Amino acid sequence: MIADLMGNPMKTPQSRMADFSRAAIAGVYLTEQGDLSHIPREKLYWQAVTGSLDDAGLTLAEVDGWVGEPPAGVGLREKMPGAALADLLGHPLRFEATTHIGAASGSACVGLAALAIANGLADVVVVATSASGQAQTGYLSADRAKVVEHMAKLGSPYEWLWGTTRVADYAVIARRHMHEYGTTSDQLAEIAVAQRHGATLHPLSVMGRRGEITVDDVLNSRMIADPLHLLDSCIINQGGGAIVVARADAVRDAGRHAPVVIAGWGEGHGYLDPNSAATLTAFAGREAADTAFSIAGVTRDEIDVVGMSDHFTINVLIGLEDAGFCAKGEGGQLVDKGGLAIGGTLPTNTAGGFMSFSHAGSCGIYTMIEVVQQLRHDAGPRQVAGARLGYTHGMGGVFQAHYGAVLARA
Amino acid sequence: MAESSYDKFLPPDDLPEFHRPFWDSVKAHQVRLQRCSSCGRFRYIPSEICPGCGSLSADWTPISGRGVVYTYTIVHRAPTEAYQRDAPYPIVHVTLDEGPRMIAGLVGVPIDEVAVGLPVHLIYDDVTPDVTIFNFARWEE
Repeated sequence: MIADLMGNPMKTPQSRMADFSRAAIAGVYLTEQGDLSHIPREKLYWQAVTGSLDDAGLTLAEVDGWVGEPPAGVGLREKMPGAALADLLGHPLRFEATTHIGAASGSACVGLAALAIANGLADVVVVATSASGQAQTGYLSADRAKVVEHMAKLGSPYEWLWGTTRVADYAVIARRHMHEYGTTSDQLAEIAVAQRHGATLHPLSVMGRRGEITVDDVLNSRMIADPLHLLDSCIINQGGGAIVVARADAVRDAGRHAPVVIAGWGEGHGYLDPNSAATLTAFAGREAADTAFSIAGVTRDEIDVVGMSDHFTINVLIGLEDAGFCAKGEGGQLVDKGGLAIGGTLPTNTAGGFMSFSHAGSCGIYTMIEVVQQLRHDAGPRQVAGARLGYTHGMGGVFQAHYGAVLARA
Repeated sequence: MAESSYDKFLPPDDLPEFHRPFWDSVKAHQVRLQRCSSCGRFRYIPSEICPGCGSLSADWTPISGRGVVYTYTIVHRAPTEAYQRDAPYPIVHVTLDEGPRMIAGLVGVPIDEVAVGLPVHLIYDDVTPDVTIFNFARWEE
């Protein structure tokens, strides 16, 4: 904590905070999502990249920065993706940063790109992801049993020796939240139901074609790790997407889309080992949101639409509490009775999220793209009327790393 | 390592050296946790510094092994075939009497009797000639 000369804690003054608003989302692109085992991974990656640049009215020649998942490669190509990209693009890059935080990458990478652009380190930055093809290992494997075993061992032996799984890691959190605050399985199911409705309105969603689901459908689906059912869980699929971040004035000049600026961004890193976490019902999404909202200078009740990492229903409920959209423990009431649906009190994951839209690669990109499309008023039948301000939250691990962003239609 | 029929996951061989006293204490059937030499705080899992006061010095101190269930899950879809044979099975996070929480399995308790607040204690299982792991069981006075 910064202290003043009298030793009193001093809040960082607004004027000293980063000015992210010089950076805007210039382009977004979603590839097809689902079983893409017939498409080589590099092909899908570059399809996403060029698609997002087309959307922005930009070309690869204008790209001078890259953040996040680099083109697949081994050896030095993997170690120095910026240099590898210079070979691929035929010109030097001015900025490159890589993250290893999976689903959080949407918010984290766009935030880093905005930091670079706002500080003059780059003008056009690409953030892309792809998961497709056959020869994949670990999380990207086409073999579901291998994915489950790989994901189960992401934590430490102080967890997985006893047969934990990724679902179990979240189930213990859901159980404790139920114990402390009376949250119910019905309330969690409402989240999955609201998101599936959005997915039915998105032509690229993986689960939308299967139609609407009800609370009973969720409660009657197979139990995976009590209290989380199959339909409380994200899907496992392949897909790709990309976001181009560029100088806001250039996006305005291009005039292709309403500029969506990154009004605020913040991180929170709360715990790594669940044995050591102070609590399993409140996480560092709080710090991420507080910083992002403080920089943006807006309040939670001004937010029209939210994109929240949703590997499981409980993530959305606790994520919204931690981000300050309701008091701790009141998430159950917030999500109840379609509260998160399009037309509800806080439309969230309106394309369906990881549970019903897509969960592939650095999937946080999809979370953010949907909020961008809402703020551009390009969301078609999913459109939240008059949406001007959005909040996105990328979560890495089990509520471990948090990246919040306030996006604003400029 | 001698032949063993145990086909679930074992602690990896490449844990940092400062974790070793913990696993040695498990093997001895008397768990010891690090207790900060400066502020007296117990901590788990093994770590280099005290998150309470930042001291680098700690004593491996025996614990009672007793605690209460903080939260739990019942796993229906297990990570491998070996675990799936036992499914549905509980995993518990236990608040130890000494303060830290500890994750482990819970044995001997029907799954519909697993509950937050259940009193439990540590028990040991020599799963191979070289490796001992621990679980919790219901504690009855």
